[in-house]
This record gives sequence, C-alpha cells and structure tokens, in this order.
Amino acid sequence: MEKERKPKNIFVQGAITPEKIAQSIANHSTKTDIGGHSIFLGQVRADEKPEGKVVAIDYSAYEEMALEKAFEIREAIFAKYPLTCMHIYHSLGEVKVGELCLFVFTSSKHRNAAMDACDKLVERIKAELPVWGKEILDSDGHVWKVNV
Amino acid sequence: MNEVILIKAFGMIAEKIGGSELEWKNPGTLEALRAKLENEFPDLKAAKFGFAINKKLLQSDAEIPAGAEVALLPPFSGG
Repeated sequence: MEKERKPKNIFVQGAITPEKIAQSIANHSTKTDIGGHSIFLGQVRADEKPEGKVVAIDYSAYEEMALEKAFEIREAIFAKYPLTCMHIYHSLGEVKVGELCLFVFTSSKHRNAAMDACDKLVERIKAELPVWGKEILDSDGHVWKVNV
Repeated sequence: MNEVILIKAFGMIAEKIGGSELEWKNPGTLEALRAKLENEFPDLKAAKFGFAINKKLLQSDAEIPAGAEVALLPPFSGG
C-alpha cells in the first residue's frame, strides 16, 4: 500500500549532531527490506576569504517556501528512484566550522538507487531551496556564501 | 480589495534594505516593483535577486495579485 506523504519540517536549529545521525541510522534496523543506505553530510568549512577566515555560517531561509519546495523535490525523487526511505535535515541559525549543516539520507533495496537519489537530492537542495548562508568571519565581518 | 502587498526580503537583500518586511501599495508588476525598490534603496541596483509571488518563483515579469506576498530572493546558498 502506498503511504500518503505530507510536507515535513526539514529544518533544525543550529548544528546537526552526530548523535542525531546515529539515531536516525539505528531507526532503520526494523526496516528489513532495506539493503543499502546512502548518506551525505555537509560540514561547515573554514574558508579563507580576502576579508577574513570563516568561523561559522548563519543560515536563514524562506521557510514556508523551502518546505513546499523540499516536498516537491522529495516527491520527484521518490517517483524516479525505488527508495524505501528518504530524510532531509538542514540547519538554521549558527553552525560553527567543523559542525554539520546538512544531512541527506536515502535507503533502498539495492545500493544504486540510494546512492543516485542521494546525489541528486543534494544537488537539488543546494540549487532550489530558498536558504542563505551568512559566513561569519574571524575579523568580525561577514560575507554571503555563494554556492558553486 | 486589498491593494497592499507584503514584501519579504531575505539574505543579502534584507541586509541592504535594513529589514525583512515591507508593506507597500501594489505597484502592479514585478518590473515596476523592482524599479520602485531600486529607487528607494539604491544599493539594490548592484544586487542580484529574483522574485517569488505567494511562494512561487517567477522567472520573468508578472502581475502582482492584490494582497500578494512578494519575496525578494538573492541567489540561494544552502547546504
């Protein structure tokens, strides 16, 4: 039976903890039709900018639009790949260098669907979600993150 | 009819405007709104941003419906 899917909140305040990720993996042990997981973790990098070194990123979003868009992306990926599960978490607010800001987790019967779907999800999240990163610098200033 | 629109600014655009929300009389179209914004906030002339009307991204000029929520969206940089 096809389960009805509804928009979920993908945002978490602050960094995504390794404990949350471990718990999320553990939660799948009862889903015994899964044969492979794929996980992407985005980590805040200490970039050297001409204006200073990045010490944190302060994320903001147009939340209502981002959640609608995330739902649309989610549905499209589910339609394209034979997945068992899909989870997306993105930080809001301040995340320090070395901490995690994005957690994308796909599971399927066989590895290829999980890996391909995870890859595609990350690309679409970065390109299509109305989220902005303000890079806080050690010089007390800031610059706006640009996605490449 | 509610001819006032709610303008929501984000990221670098909010910073240039000095706030995240404006309530303005509906200028009619996105191009007219852009002109009005650039007139009010000259810093925006050099800034790159697009629009969403009622949470839908618009790629070209469009009419702004009465009571709309219009978002000013600089290039996305999530992840």
